[in-house]
Amino acid sequence: MSSDLLAGRLIVVVGAGGVGKTTLAAALALGSAKEGRRTLVMTFDPSLRLKDALGVVDAAKDDPIRVMEHGPGFLDAALLDAKRTFDRLIRTYAPGAAAARRIFSNRFYRDMAGNLSGILEYMAMERLFEMQASGRYDRIILDTPPTRQAMDFLQAPMRMMNLVDSKAIRFATDPWWDGAGRKSLAVHFALKGAMELSDRIIGRRFLLDVVEFIRAFAPLFDGFRSRAEEVRNLLQAEETRFLLVAGAGPDRVPDAMFFLRKLVETGHHLGPILVNQVHPSLDAAPGKEDGLTLLRFLADRDQRGLTLLRSLFPGGQKIIPIALEPVPPADLETLGRLFEKVSKTGPD
Amino acid sequence: MSVLDRLAERQLVVVTGKGGTGKTTLAAVLGRLMADRGKRVLLLEVDPRESLHQALGTEPSGGALVPAGAGLFIQNLQPGAVIEGLVREKVHLAYLAHKITESVAFHQFVEGAPGLKETALLGHAYRVLQGGHRPQTDLVIVDAPATGHSATMLAAPGLLAQASEGGQLGDMAADLAAFLADDSRCGVVLATLAEEMPIQETLELIDLLEEKLGIQPDLIVANGLYPPLPQGAAEAPGTSLWEARRRLNEAELSRLAAAWDGPLLELPLLPLDRGPLLVKALASRFSREDL
Repeated sequence: MSSDLLAGRLIVVVGAGGVGKTTLAAALALGSAKEGRRTLVMTFDPSLRLKDALGVVDAAKDDPIRVMEHGPGFLDAALLDAKRTFDRLIRTYAPGAAAARRIFSNRFYRDMAGNLSGILEYMAMERLFEMQASGRYDRIILDTPPTRQAMDFLQAPMRMMNLVDSKAIRFATDPWWDGAGRKSLAVHFALKGAMELSDRIIGRRFLLDVVEFIRAFAPLFDGFRSRAEEVRNLLQAEETRFLLVAGAGPDRVPDAMFFLRKLVETGHHLGPILVNQVHPSLDAAPGKEDGLTLLRFLADRDQRGLTLLRSLFPGGQKIIPIALEPVPPADLETLGRLFEKVSKTGPD
Repeated sequence: MSVLDRLAERQLVVVTGKGGTGKTTLAAVLGRLMADRGKRVLLLEVDPRESLHQALGTEPSGGALVPAGAGLFIQNLQPGAVIEGLVREKVHLAYLAHKITESVAFHQFVEGAPGLKETALLGHAYRVLQGGHRPQTDLVIVDAPATGHSATMLAAPGLLAQASEGGQLGDMAADLAAFLADDSRCGVVLATLAEEMPIQETLELIDLLEEKLGIQPDLIVANGLYPPLPQGAAEAPGTSLWEARRRLNEAELSRLAAAWDGPLLELPLLPLDRGPLLVKALASRFSREDL
């Protein structure tokens, strides 16, 4: 079973918020290390408890830190930080320190670039690629941010490629802007009209900030484009598995199906589905006055969710229910036990 | 003045919290309670996969206004549609408006421009309240998106106003930012679970709201609490789980209480699926509590 769970050199753990992705990613990574693999777990925003459990500190934002060793295997953990990755990319690709400084001091970059949609996700992918290319690991387990809405992070490389190629950017980097370019009178007036219109609507300073940002950024685009393509290929590789973590209960099934459809449509490879935090069944007969009505309801609700999910996969997709833990794992020992439990449960 | 009285005086209430914390059901409960007080309420849902209609037992909105009982309407609203509507309104030539909204550059701008979508959504709520819209609305309740921090959403108009100073967009955003900062008209309600990560995010959100916007939430609702184990409950495999979870809830609630002395409502897990019955049961708990 564990070979199924841990199939793949890269395992991407996805799912809606609050379903326990980060804890499961850590447990799987620990299991992998104990099987003698050189393993890295990359995570966005672990709880304080889990941070303590893995012993990660903020230094893990720059370089992975060693959590444990087991024979030839070991576990490293890295924290993902979009802004730092973005800064580092700029330092790497900018054609010189002065060019990098120009970007760093741009108001748009400072205040707003971090909010550009998809940037966070793209930076996670970028860091992942960097780690994978380093050859230091047999297996990388990536915990993803809860992008319930649009699976942003899968589309992130594509979007980055589109952005780099977009008309808007070529428009902004065109020398007509400061009058250096040569153009026909008609084009001149058309552009002037368009600029005046957008100036009136968007505001001159904003526009100038954005244009300056894009121009400072332009020399980096070629590097970005090829990198985004490589990242996309990595995500679609046979060796990359997507492990979906779903919440228990019928209310959570639409979420799970949404993720699954997106993943399959975009040509990614699915691993097993983990249904997390399932309430255990009670043996006692229903309707008995034993004060356990709520518990019986929760167990029944979670079973209904599982039945519904299974009925949607007549083809035999592997679905692994994981019982709700009384106390969430808080150290390596309890994380290890969680892994044992999950790998023994297997598909039912 | 009770929390419900105060909420009833607001024009806009943003319900927010991490995914899976019962935000949508809470928005429905508040909508129901306010409508029962005679307010004309519009509940706006932002998630494209609708679930608000399930909580209230209506048809899905698909972008349209759907009545959900006396004084209450729901609407699922997509930022892209709002922005396109604005373009059509500002650009009077239908052909030109069509050209713009169909263009790749427009879509990239809408997708990429930071804060634009958030501003458009809140702006829509603002315009609905300005009147002229049917049905007339006294109070808009927004079921905010789960992704990202909602402080970012609420701060978006202010940032956009700064960035786009002098343009029409900037003027609109500045108006909206002033409206959001007016705590006699706008309020925030936070949904959370009494578990580590949701409480952590709630604490961070309280700080962010204070720091970025100078506002405090009207109310924090801790959802889905395991109630105390009933007296004389039978021994079963699940009872120790129940007790352990209950202890976890209590520990996290006291962590919250150490940092937050404002109104807090604790709502228990109920043996009911998401739907009108659950909304009704929670609404009656709400009214019973003396907040």
